[in-house]
Amino acid sequence: MLSRTAVSQEVSKKVFWTAKRKRNLKENIILYLILSPVLIHIFIFCYIPMYGVVIAFQNYFPGSPFIAFDGSVEWVGLQHFTDFIGSIYFLRLIKNTVVLSGLQLLIGFGVPIVFALLLNEVKNVRYKKFVQTASYLPHFISMVVVASLALLMVSQDGLINQLLAMMGLSPINYSTDPKYFPWVYVITNVWSSFGWNSIIYLSTIASIDPNLYEAARMDGANRFQQAIHITLPSIRNTIIILFIFAVGGLLNANTEFILLMYNPTIYETADVIGTYVYREGILNGGFSKATAIGIFMQVINFSLLWLCNTISRKINGYSMW
Amino acid sequence: MVSAKKMPKNRIREGSRIVDVVIIVITAIICFITLYPFYYIFVQSIADPQEVIAQTAYLWPKKLYFGSYKLIMGDVKMWTAYGYTLIYVVSGTVLNLLTSVLGAYPLATKGLAFRSIVVKFVIIPMYFSGGLIPSFLLMTKLCLYNNIWAMILPGAVGIWNIILVRSYFMSIPEGLRESAYIDGAGHLRILFSIFLPLSKPILAVIAIYTIVGIWNSWFNAMIYLPDSSLHPLQFYLYRVMIQQSVNLADMQGGMAAVEDQIQRMLENYQLKYALIIFTSLPVIFTYPFFQKYFIKGVMLGSLKE
Repeated sequence: MLSRTAVSQEVSKKVFWTAKRKRNLKENIILYLILSPVLIHIFIFCYIPMYGVVIAFQNYFPGSPFIAFDGSVEWVGLQHFTDFIGSIYFLRLIKNTVVLSGLQLLIGFGVPIVFALLLNEVKNVRYKKFVQTASYLPHFISMVVVASLALLMVSQDGLINQLLAMMGLSPINYSTDPKYFPWVYVITNVWSSFGWNSIIYLSTIASIDPNLYEAARMDGANRFQQAIHITLPSIRNTIIILFIFAVGGLLNANTEFILLMYNPTIYETADVIGTYVYREGILNGGFSKATAIGIFMQVINFSLLWLCNTISRKINGYSMW
Repeated sequence: MVSAKKMPKNRIREGSRIVDVVIIVITAIICFITLYPFYYIFVQSIADPQEVIAQTAYLWPKKLYFGSYKLIMGDVKMWTAYGYTLIYVVSGTVLNLLTSVLGAYPLATKGLAFRSIVVKFVIIPMYFSGGLIPSFLLMTKLCLYNNIWAMILPGAVGIWNIILVRSYFMSIPEGLRESAYIDGAGHLRILFSIFLPLSKPILAVIAIYTIVGIWNSWFNAMIYLPDSSLHPLQFYLYRVMIQQSVNLADMQGGMAAVEDQIQRMLENYQLKYALIIFTSLPVIFTYPFFQKYFIKGVMLGSLKE
């Protein structure tokens, strides 16, 4: 009797498990069918190009396969990398990339914080909303329009030169004089992004416990002191995290934006790794060379990000992975 | 002595008028710097061409002139570009929403075999990419070069969107899914009749980000679309404003009397201002209403980081 129950239990368990496994299998097939368009897309548009970087080690010409075993592919090892490092452009590109991104970091990072602190002190809610909304506007306008605006403003007869003329100064041709490009680039960038970048700080500020301010006021702190000793420390973590990742992306000068803003007369200060890759690869057809330079940039970028992430984990106990 | 020193401070902390005024003045200046360039362009676009050339209109033109807008409205190339932008925006947004939902649901299901491996497969491209040239070569190999699909297919899947929707799906109580399951609903049914209606807020955020992203994009068109008849609006603008390879004077066509020609030369100078305003208007007028979705997106993004 007892053994019969045990046997039947055993059998029913077995039946249950096979049923469950079958059900699981069927379920998984359905789930993978749902997932398949996405997986196929990611495979084609993300993984095949990743594999395509092998052309950096070849002399690729259009029409040939990435890898062939009949000897039609000419492998050249690291030649494109050493060529690039030895070329006259190497130092200029690295310098420009670091200068533009560094300047951007130096100026562009602080402005949203100061703006958020200022806006936090505005008492009239409707005015505050208006300023905030106005400050987001450039973020929604396309890069092409922002660049056109900037170029119109700094052109020979543009608004800035008219201002200079009013002050009795001679006009400066900002768009063809290489020494002004970093400033035109950074100021335009900051102008178009500071409002948007302040959102994260403003929302962190909004979550600060009002009792802290109450207590500080009891202790006789004025508004400036409150901002320095309560608001600022409360957004400290956000600042650190954003700063670390801004440093991590130091070589990511805004290529698309520079492509819009620069012209051959100012390559000396405006040409960065990304724009050089575009000209060498897409315009001149030097596919292998441009891919090698692209890899070079990615490797440095990723090491920087990794380094910053590790530092961040050590200091804040916070990391991306 | 001490209390006397403290007095002014206390007045500041209670909100002295001076501090308030200073703050309001500073923020007003910031506002002015942000908005004035747009206003300046707007004034130039409606001023008399003579005034535009002489650069005398700063606040309001002495004489209004809407001829440039009339010319732009008649520009066939611009309207074609507008039409293609609409095609790219609509198809891109629909595809993005669909793929983020289809990608997120299985990845949010606990029973999915090899789930962690698949998630890694999806996330890795966020950190590494083949770069510009291999992607370009892939597109030529797929025969997408100079093809309208080059503007739609590569951006059809947004990995970031999938991750956002996935975490939203994971916050939906498991009991809801189970009870539907017991009632006999399959995965597709659960996804489309239960999960989708619940995730409207996140889908709205994704839709609006995608719409603005595609509306403003120009770089892909420059790389993949040599055929100027397929160009989206922003790239048309790029060719007019930056590359200056499109001569707006062409749209007037035909021969004309000398004084007409002079008038046309003046108008041409003004056309770019009108074009900037005309292409930016849809965004300027709609973004204040969609702001809250964008801010939501920023918050979601920062939580995920």
